[in-house]
Amino acid sequence: MSGADATGRMLRLERLIPSSPDDLFTLWIEPEQIARWWAPDGYKAAVHDLDVRPGGRWRIVLRGSGSRELVMGGFYHIVEPPQRLAFSWAWEEEDGMRGSQTEVTVSFEPVPGGTRLVLVHQSFDSKDARDRHLSGWSASFDRLTNLSREPHP
Amino acid sequence: MPSTQTSQLDHLFAALADATRRDIIELLLAKGELSVGEVAAPFAISVPAVSRHLQVLEHAGLIDRRVERQWRFVRVRADALKPLETWLSRQSRYWTRALDRLEALAAAQTPMRKKS
Repeated sequence: MSGADATGRMLRLERLIPSSPDDLFTLWIEPEQIARWWAPDGYKAAVHDLDVRPGGRWRIVLRGSGSRELVMGGFYHIVEPPQRLAFSWAWEEEDGMRGSQTEVTVSFEPVPGGTRLVLVHQSFDSKDARDRHLSGWSASFDRLTNLSREPHP
Repeated sequence: MPSTQTSQLDHLFAALADATRRDIIELLLAKGELSVGEVAAPFAISVPAVSRHLQVLEHAGLIDRRVERQWRFVRVRADALKPLETWLSRQSRYWTRALDRLEALAAAQTPMRKKS
């Protein structure tokens, strides 16, 4: 669930999945596996680049019905099988320009019965936040969005 | 999904990537409209430095300015954070569904090993 925990994140999703970290990690780094789950309903994912190493590029094209195509991609920053994966994420606009740069971190923690997968997606690519694995950014984002819903005095 | 308002989002992200500017927005959200001097007061920085931060926030569409005689007032623009919330809810929806599919695939590939 998303929420304002102590370390505060933009978007934080957590799942307990009955697979080993190794098996789960494989689903994130092999093109033929990614193609099976990455695309939203109504789309097919074609993995164009998947160079899973720090600095390596990934690029996935989503094809919908008709000629509709969505392109997303970025670069890997952290590749620590089977524990952690971090990569930048941007949608490519129709003119080929990269959209807003964001950052995804996925961690795989072995727990009884499987793996706790934690996915964090934050709205900007901060090397500092990545290295320290801590960012006050989204805790304050949560405060801001909550405050902005309240009427001004 | 790709945004046609990419540069607007980028400006918002960049403006809010700075801790002082986030604090300024929080202050304004809590207090409503303040003069530039009142914004500067709680911070250990000069009024010109605060003015520069306010310029960035204004450029990002986060605040509105109003001048009354020699006084300058600022307040958070209504719905200023809406693009961020929209981005967040879209991305949240995307990942929630993607993780559902991932989970189903993982379950199909590696049935849970039951301990006897």
